[in-house]
Amino acid sequence: MNFEGKVVLVTGASRGIGAAIARAFAKEGAFVIVNYLQNKMLAEKVAAECIQLGGDGYAIQGDVTSEEAVNQMIEEIMLEAGKIDVVVNNAFKSFQFNPETRKLAWEVQWEDYQGQIDGAVRSAHYICQAVIPIMKKQSQGSIINIITNLVERPIVPYHEYNTAKTALMGYSRNLAVEVGSFGIRVNCVAPGLVYPTDASRTTKENLKELIIAQTPLKRIATPEDIAGPVLFLASDWSRFMTGQTLYVDGGFVM
Amino acid sequence: MLASGRRVYSIGERNSKMRITAGYIPNIGETKFDKKILKFQDLEVELPLLTLEQMQRVIDTVKRESAEILKSLSVSTVVDIIGYVTEQFLDRSSSYRQQAEKLLPIVTGYDEEVIRLGLTSFLKTFRKHELQRFLVEDLGNPLLLDHFQPRAKGGFSKAIGPELITHVWAGNVPALPIWSFVSGLLVKAGNIGKVSSSEPLFAGWFAKALAEAEPSLANCFAVVWWKGGDEKREKMIFEKSNLVIGYGNNETLKALKKQVPITTRFLPFGHKVSFGIISKSALDAHKAWRIAHQAALDVIRYDQQGCYSPHLFYVQKGGKVSPVEFARLIAGELENFEKRYPRRKLSMEESVALASWRQKEEMSTFTETGKEVLGTSTHQWTVVFEEEEKVFTASPLNRVIRVISFEKLEDILPYIKPYRSFLQTIGMAATPKELFHWAELLANVGVTRITALGKMTSPEAGWHHDGRFNLLDLIQMVDIESSAIVDSEQFAPYVD
Amino acid sequence: MTQQREIIEELSQFIKKNQASEEEFNSLALHIFNYQYKHNLPYQTFCRQKGKTPRLVKNWRDIPYVPMSAFKEVPLTCSDPEAAVRVFMTSGTTQGKQGKHFHSTLEIRELSMIINFKERFMKETNRIRMGILFPTEEKMPHSSLAHYLALVMKEFGTEDSCYLLKENGVHIQKIISELEHAEKTGEPFALLGASFSFVHLFEELERLGKTFNLPKGSKILDSGGYKNKSKELDLNEFYQLLERYFGVDRSNCINMYGITELSTQFYDDGNEVVPSIKTGPSWIRTRVINPLTGEEVPEGERGVLVHYDLANFNSVMAVATEDVGMAVDEGFYLFGRVQGAEARGCSLAVEEFIQLAKGTAK
Repeated sequence: MNFEGKVVLVTGASRGIGAAIARAFAKEGAFVIVNYLQNKMLAEKVAAECIQLGGDGYAIQGDVTSEEAVNQMIEEIMLEAGKIDVVVNNAFKSFQFNPETRKLAWEVQWEDYQGQIDGAVRSAHYICQAVIPIMKKQSQGSIINIITNLVERPIVPYHEYNTAKTALMGYSRNLAVEVGSFGIRVNCVAPGLVYPTDASRTTKENLKELIIAQTPLKRIATPEDIAGPVLFLASDWSRFMTGQTLYVDGGFVM
Repeated sequence: MLASGRRVYSIGERNSKMRITAGYIPNIGETKFDKKILKFQDLEVELPLLTLEQMQRVIDTVKRESAEILKSLSVSTVVDIIGYVTEQFLDRSSSYRQQAEKLLPIVTGYDEEVIRLGLTSFLKTFRKHELQRFLVEDLGNPLLLDHFQPRAKGGFSKAIGPELITHVWAGNVPALPIWSFVSGLLVKAGNIGKVSSSEPLFAGWFAKALAEAEPSLANCFAVVWWKGGDEKREKMIFEKSNLVIGYGNNETLKALKKQVPITTRFLPFGHKVSFGIISKSALDAHKAWRIAHQAALDVIRYDQQGCYSPHLFYVQKGGKVSPVEFARLIAGELENFEKRYPRRKLSMEESVALASWRQKEEMSTFTETGKEVLGTSTHQWTVVFEEEEKVFTASPLNRVIRVISFEKLEDILPYIKPYRSFLQTIGMAATPKELFHWAELLANVGVTRITALGKMTSPEAGWHHDGRFNLLDLIQMVDIESSAIVDSEQFAPYVD
Repeated sequence: MTQQREIIEELSQFIKKNQASEEEFNSLALHIFNYQYKHNLPYQTFCRQKGKTPRLVKNWRDIPYVPMSAFKEVPLTCSDPEAAVRVFMTSGTTQGKQGKHFHSTLEIRELSMIINFKERFMKETNRIRMGILFPTEEKMPHSSLAHYLALVMKEFGTEDSCYLLKENGVHIQKIISELEHAEKTGEPFALLGASFSFVHLFEELERLGKTFNLPKGSKILDSGGYKNKSKELDLNEFYQLLERYFGVDRSNCINMYGITELSTQFYDDGNEVVPSIKTGPSWIRTRVINPLTGEEVPEGERGVLVHYDLANFNSVMAVATEDVGMAVDEGFYLFGRVQGAEARGCSLAVEEFIQLAKGTAK
């Protein structure tokens, strides 16, 4: 897969899955825009790695839940690169994935939902609103939204998180219908439990074992495992796919 | 009466190149002709190149036989024959159709699917019931072509077709010559057609199929080739013709006209400009895509080479889908069509012209705000969007279209008006009220045809090509005035 | 040191060295592209529109090229156009708009010309008596060819070198006396000028029934084609006539190919066989492309020439011509200007339309 000359924006790319996706694109020659919220040092390290890997990297701060910040960021990218070919909406609002301490349904406040919906749908929406005019002009573009396999099988009902990610899947499908006429594709990648990431650092071993036992490929995903399907959906190889969700969980969901 | 000289069509392998014979020569008592070879990729087309003397004999033969045989047939018989031949070319299992689908893509460079769809949509116009429409449209009473018919004003009239019509066809839009050829046949004229070097095949096939369908007509027409601008030959042929129908750009037509003597009528069909107009009422979230789809279809059909193909689209502001969004929708559709119906491979000259045009448009986006050039060098199409650009410009064609926004149709009319004599078709998407209102305005600036988007390249049977009549322009009327009839009564043997 | 100065220094070294590996060429090309992207704003917009910014371009082949016609539309320069020391202009073509090439300094352009001319035309000779069949720089201050000829005469001509044109054509008496002088003394002589001036000269000499036999070491340089100024001559015939009228071997008749929009010229090694192969020095490279895709055409196929001239540091390095050519190992064949595309159907062609628009404007 050759991404030379392609401009790829990955949100929340200073660490974890986002960083792995950024590196994977760079390895194929892409110019990767490494968006981050707080961790400048880590983001710049990822950008430097992108260059080492044969692509190019550019760390750029931007709060994706702020419309103004998003527009500013996209403008800056356009000045630097002149175009955006691929967007990976990977950033999300931090969440404690702990099946034991999670909120029970009757404990969840609307604000909990709102926070997660803002983190997932609102941020993706701002980014999409900003890049779609650019992609329309190019008559092509690929948007990939990172969700979770919990949307299909909520093995742990993290209400606010799962609901927000499910909403993002619905958002993606509707968007796919509308922008398909302009040659723009919108798809989702739904990883299972990915370890290690900051979000999964506290996940208990017994849950991991439970998941492994029920996973045909008998292990837990690494961040690098997620990158492959993302690159596929970004590439011309998937040129006739849109509105789809690829589950990347070793067969846990099927 | 199958004359051996009419070996019109044969395929033979020679040096791994396919060689076919084209054109159609009636029986003039000899079968040996000089040859002109036209080369198209792996195909060689061999056309008979007649000496002036042979040409003279063709003219004499066609004149004589069409007077004796064609003119003795009733118009309904002629319609039956043409309709039958048309059905053969529509039938995908017939050998004629199969050859056309196989060879026309090679000769013209158009994609096979484009040819297949284009042929069907075009030929449908010449089925029996559509031919009847041609007749009624122009003549009211088709029997005028057979016998003297009573007229409302009194007296009787008959429509007489010319002894000889010479057609000078042009361009590479496949099968297009059939339009004037069929018109000529309907008025029972002798017809000699000169094919263009860029599509020398179809007219000859049609002639051959006619002769096969009705062998008695075999000597009533000819399909030949000579090098355009061969003044001596043109002068000689035009001298013997009653009517010359010429196609081409004004330069070519001017040159032709110079060779036409005063006693021969000349019907020139010059190059034209067509465009589309889309009302804001057609641009809601639900309908916009379909309109863009239809508009793109008009663009890809024969890569805009037809006189009815759009050069640009005027799109009204104020709809749910803005003009620039509409331009982007067309771009998306052009890309989708590219996968189904790829663009013809362009020559170096065309490529350079297109590339430099495109780059020039790109450069001008620096100074013109709101302007967008859609598509990249990897695309086989270009869409340029301009905000209320107060100009009317031609497209370099080959899937290049300009979208221009407007407020009121009245605003753009002054920019269109100077091109009055070059305007032809408008593809329109508008409410019935707008349709008629705008039609009035456009008619006044010289437009001669208004049709739906998606139909620009498929005019209906009996359309008034460039505002003219298909048949009326070919015939002359002969009147028997009522006084002659009244007067004749007294000489009847049964007069009381 | 200013950025421009830095580039000039680097370029001078590069040109003086006159040999460069792919990497060296690439690295300087990218450096200059960076500079032009930053300082030539219309070009920057153009590159951004193409999605090809310095950030994304890693190979000189990917540097966005502008069409020659762009020089007519906008001032393509990295420095203030008002402050240009020299502006070269293309001869007005059909549309009447002239392309402008702004120069903030002539330093690099002249260095490029001198080193290249010495290598390709002068060779081991240091000076030669020259006759120039072209107007002077004073007469045509905006002609890049006039500047070129004036420069080479100054740098490589003997003191007796002179211009051989007068107000309305060739100065035939002067030409004859120069040529006779060369014949008599045996001193090598170089005739340099526009191709069409030679065509005029042929006509004059034919009228007078005169031919010459210039001494060994004499050379001829022609440039620029005929551009409708005179009757079209077959290329082969042109060099036959040069040989016949002046007695200069066709291998010593050199054609220079240059365009106003560039700062470096191409030469052939004589014209015993036409078309000859054109080559340039180490600081210019040429790609033969399919104009629609911008991709290089397969070897042996015709395409359009795009030149990447590092000496064009102040405008745009990559310029797409409308010249058709074919790449060969050492250089390229030049087949001349691409002809206008013909209308294929019955739709009005753009060319026709432009004629019409002109007509209605009158």
